[in-house]
Amino acid sequence: MKRQPEIGSAELPLVELDDVLQHRARIGAVVLLARHEQLSFSRLKALLQETDGNLGAQMRKLEDAGYVAVRKEFQDRRPVTWYGLTAKGKRALSQHLAGLERLIRQARRARG
Amino acid sequence: MDHLERLEGDLSFVRGALDTSTRSKSPSALYILWAVIVLIGFALVDFQADLVAAFWAVAAPAGFVASAYLGWRHARRIGQASASDGRRYLLHWGAVLVVVALAVLLGTSRAMPSGTLHTMILLLLSLGYFTAGLHLDRTFLWVGLLMGAGSVVVTVVPLYAWTAVGIALAVSLSVAGMREGRSREATT
Repeated sequence: MKRQPEIGSAELPLVELDDVLQHRARIGAVVLLARHEQLSFSRLKALLQETDGNLGAQMRKLEDAGYVAVRKEFQDRRPVTWYGLTAKGKRALSQHLAGLERLIRQARRARG
Repeated sequence: MDHLERLEGDLSFVRGALDTSTRSKSPSALYILWAVIVLIGFALVDFQADLVAAFWAVAAPAGFVASAYLGWRHARRIGQASASDGRRYLLHWGAVLVVVALAVLLGTSRAMPSGTLHTMILLLLSLGYFTAGLHLDRTFLWVGLLMGAGSVVVTVVPLYAWTAVGIALAVSLSVAGMREGRSREATT
């Protein structure tokens, strides 16, 4: 079987990939927010199939990086946390996706 | 599993989540509302033709406003609010409403006989629903097709054709509404 090149190796240099977005839940949340503008915590949890604790931790990392903005409100007397993508988050996603495209092209070339 | 495979797995997972999030957008109540409006409005053509214009003059804009409110409330309830999606829905259905109102003006100015006008409005609605099915919510697609078939039925069948088409559309809208409700329960 042909050996697959490793990301970060000489064949596939690690270019312009954002560390914060190299996690399934975090890239998922950012892509969903880029499409839908505002998503609640419970909607993200259902779409990304994450537990409360894990999603909470991942969203905090995105918040700390300045990629998402948080808004809390009461809906039918229940607290609802809404997330939206910031301009910095949009730029980061765009650069990360461009980096992924380049990586995939390089991987295809390396695989022959 | 190497990095590249993990990356591919992550991207495929994200695509799946995105597909689920865009699958259904309209609340069940919206379908039921239009099922009732369509049933009454179409049956009036056969049973009380003089009330048709007055009924639609009130029901169409009121239904439009009620639909916008139901859509907004639904978006907040499921936790997925998009202003750009809202604008697209408002522009689409607003344009349908305006075009139908302009067609009614043609009818009232006697530029078109009322029988032809009713069929033309049904065709316009059919196009409105069909394009909504293509661009906004797939569920509207077959309602649009059914309306298109209905416009043929009302020109061919002489008696109670409008009532029959109204019942068929009300049933299809109600079934679509119930299916939406069920599929949403399954994804949340």
